[in-house]
Amino acid sequence: MTERQGDERARDALIEETAGAYRPDRRGQVGSLAAWHDLDEAGRIEAFRRAGENCRLEAATHPDRRSSTVAAVLNRIAGRR
Amino acid sequence: MNLDRYLPGVMAGDADAFAKWMIEAEGPLRRSLAPLAAKVDAEAVLQEALLRVWQVAPRFTPDGRDNGLLRLAVRIARNLAISELRRTHGRAAEADELERRLEQVAVAPRSPPDPHLRRLIEDCRQKLPDQPRRALAARLEAEGSLSDARLAEDLGMKKNTFLQNFGRARKLLKACLQGLGVNVEEELA
Repeated sequence: MTERQGDERARDALIEETAGAYRPDRRGQVGSLAAWHDLDEAGRIEAFRRAGENCRLEAATHPDRRSSTVAAVLNRIAGRR
Repeated sequence: MNLDRYLPGVMAGDADAFAKWMIEAEGPLRRSLAPLAAKVDAEAVLQEALLRVWQVAPRFTPDGRDNGLLRLAVRIARNLAISELRRTHGRAAEADELERRLEQVAVAPRSPPDPHLRRLIEDCRQKLPDQPRRALAARLEAEGSLSDARLAEDLGMKKNTFLQNFGRARKLLKACLQGLGVNVEEELA
């Protein structure tokens, strides 16, 4: 693998991570992901696009049609009660 | 489609009613943040906005127009995003311009995916190679509550390998669905 291919793979991994629904807690709020900060603007926009796709795929496969974002929010609600 | 049909349950603190509302509100709310996707972590803003909607919903007063709670959610999300932008960038002119662009985004609820799509996705999942299938299953089961580093560790993969496998799974699923006649761009947009 060339250095450039390695860089592209690393960038794509950051995009994929950012497109996921996991976000850390930060001072009692939903915090931004470190991977998002490591991306350039084009990568962030691509991650946003993939997040939308993930959301529809997840909702389509979940028995109650819940995406990971919806499920994560429900988990936080249960935790904040 | 008026999502305020879930309002009585949501206002009464019924988490199941709120889940049903979120299922239909998530898409338009996410799309409302598109102009800011390069400037703020839209997923974090989206989840925090949904949590705040849940917190203020018991005191919500409908204005008689459709989708009142969704319109409130959009305002909360935009305000959170603009606050974050001002905090991190500090350039008022840029924030003002983005705020204007946000105001121009139309927000309308959208139906959840067709149940038929679920069966097709299940068929396609069975055809995935082992590693991408495991990565996809791990993400779906975690439901956004575990980091990718943790999911990768549980599967005995390096984080980047896990993420590459997940990305491969999504691409293969899309190709498989396309082969079954699904308009992937329309269904997943």
